[in-house]
Amino acid sequence: MRRFFSRNLPGYMFLLPWLLGFFLLALGPILASLYLGFTRYDMVSAPRWVGLDNYQYMFERDRRFWKALEVTFTYVALAVPLRLAMALAVAMLLDKGLRSIGLYRAIFYLPSILGASIAIAILWRAMFGIDGVVNQALALFGIQGIGWITTPSTSIYTMVVLAMWQFGSPMLIFLAGLRSIPRDLYEASEIDGTSPVRQFFRITLPLLAPVVFFNLVLQMIEAFKTFSSAFIISNGTGAPADSLLFYTVYLFNEAFRFFRMGYASALAWVLLVIIAVITVIAFATSKYWVHYENERD
Amino acid sequence: MKLTRRKLLGTAGAAAAFSALPMRFAMAQDRSIRHFWWGNPTRDERTFQVIDLFKAAHPQIDVSGEAIGWGDYWTKMATQTAGGNMADVVQMDHGFINEYVSRGALLPLDEYVGNGLQLDHYDDGANAVGTINGGLYGVSIGSTSQAIPYNTRVFEEAGVEFDPLNWTTEDFAAACARITEHTGGAVTGSEDLSLYIENFEVWVRQAGREMYSEDGKIALTVEDVRSYWDFWGELREAGVIEGPDATVRLDKGMSELGIVRGTSAMTFRYANQVGAVQSLMADPVGAAMVPHRAGMEYGHFVLPSMFLSMTRDAGDKEAVIAYINHWITSPEAIVTLGLDRGIPPSEMGREALAPHMSEVDSRVVAYFSGIQDKIGPTPTRKPKGAGEVRDNFMRTGTEVVLGNMPASEAAERFVEDAGYILERAQ
Repeated sequence: MRRFFSRNLPGYMFLLPWLLGFFLLALGPILASLYLGFTRYDMVSAPRWVGLDNYQYMFERDRRFWKALEVTFTYVALAVPLRLAMALAVAMLLDKGLRSIGLYRAIFYLPSILGASIAIAILWRAMFGIDGVVNQALALFGIQGIGWITTPSTSIYTMVVLAMWQFGSPMLIFLAGLRSIPRDLYEASEIDGTSPVRQFFRITLPLLAPVVFFNLVLQMIEAFKTFSSAFIISNGTGAPADSLLFYTVYLFNEAFRFFRMGYASALAWVLLVIIAVITVIAFATSKYWVHYENERD
Repeated sequence: MKLTRRKLLGTAGAAAAFSALPMRFAMAQDRSIRHFWWGNPTRDERTFQVIDLFKAAHPQIDVSGEAIGWGDYWTKMATQTAGGNMADVVQMDHGFINEYVSRGALLPLDEYVGNGLQLDHYDDGANAVGTINGGLYGVSIGSTSQAIPYNTRVFEEAGVEFDPLNWTTEDFAAACARITEHTGGAVTGSEDLSLYIENFEVWVRQAGREMYSEDGKIALTVEDVRSYWDFWGELREAGVIEGPDATVRLDKGMSELGIVRGTSAMTFRYANQVGAVQSLMADPVGAAMVPHRAGMEYGHFVLPSMFLSMTRDAGDKEAVIAYINHWITSPEAIVTLGLDRGIPPSEMGREALAPHMSEVDSRVVAYFSGIQDKIGPTPTRKPKGAGEVRDNFMRTGTEVVLGNMPASEAAERFVEDAGYILERAQ
């Protein structure tokens, strides 16, 4: 016991601020929301127990709930693979021993820091607007653009493009992963005359699999939780025609526009379950494609 | 009175705040209130001027104004209500006031009437809609009615002749066709109004029905919705109104309206907003009635365009009352506001305004007098959930505008969903 403390105490000390925050600020509200999911609560009068009503309404009558799921799943399915591909591509570029590599890394990381901010979402809305930069560029080629964000069939893709552009954090992790692949494998394969494409699929990707998996899980969770950019770009309502009705935007609207805190809490728990299930599936399938170097067969 | 923990805390809080009052730094303006409204550039300018007038008359009270567009207003209002930091004075709408009163977010003003708040000069019934369960929760600051603002220059050049105070939907369709043809499609006849529930309400009343019954249920029929969306669908197919891209942008800012941009000749607004449309464009804007279906009623009604309400978070209630009173009794304030928030619902207000009216104001007032013998009774107050039904109308209508769903199917879906929404909001 003493040994445990003397060895681990510093670690827990470092964790302390986070642990305090979690237990004092996050755990209470999380548990409260579980309870509130079974109530009607308008934040002014006291919550009233309604049993499973919220969940029943959600699954049986609420078209917007299903629409929100459709939008969110579409987004996750498109944005996550594309962002990871982008991140890996840039990481491989930066893995070449360029001079002032640190500067490039910082520059490429910048969009991810900015991307979560409100300013970028507003910029995005302006860029893809009917008179925006994108359409002005297209006009140079004689193409008459449309209002990309205001047209329901294209609005989601503007969000996907925004997601691709924010590849910074998976890129940094990929970069670290690439660095840890032993160089001699590449040297040996070069002597055998292996093409770079084959090198990528036979050496880089398999050895990077654990990092890909890590990034995949994290980015998926992130994508399910996408809020601020969708909120700003859709004017807070999921417009046009609910094509940007991300799950979290819907949840926010139910909670803060229509005062249905109970229903919104139920929505939040459904999202939690969805994310948990998908993460479990990802872990379950990972054993077929993720191999760790120190694994013994 | 039953003492609950909430009340106890509230009282304790108020007492604490009160006892802290005299200790606050002794500035000239040691009292302050916040006023929150939805607006547009001209309205905001007028309102800030009124605030300045009030501050000049009451140097010890500071007023800070907060303005935002209609689209974001209710989100922000709901958040502030939940957070317990509503502005002291808020602008309310007839579609929402019931909801906020039933949540206990607004305070009754009855005890101040005749005691700081002068209402004796108001028209009879002017505050009927703002009176809920016997308490006055919103002072009407203007009367209005539905209107179709139209670009008179485009109408003249296309040679459209019509009676703005008596025209049918066929006349309307013909005017749209005529204008589109005359301008070679550069200007379409009208904005596509399929998603404007306020315009649709007139359509429903033309058939002798109301949107909502007295007990807060849906009273309109699927047929009302289908016929309305089909009417606009035919115009859309004929290409004589704005296309889907412009239409599905909901709650556009005024500068984005087709009539302002010069891409269409008509839109829907309440009569009090015609002046704001005019201020954004050079061509003279006229006001016409919403066209009626041949052989049916006109469907129009007069309603309070907006209210001033005091919220439960109001700190300095006396200052709030003084401020509201200033709005409705100060001739300067009334002149500054003009018709932007509606025709003053009091003789005194109209007299103060008469010598100061702009050209467009005179047109609006003439329009308002012209429709007086054509208006029906004001419908019952919108039930709780009406704001959400409005959202749902726009959402479902968008599917029709985009051609994803036939009007008949969408109409059924809208009525079904609206029923759910109202049931759930109770």
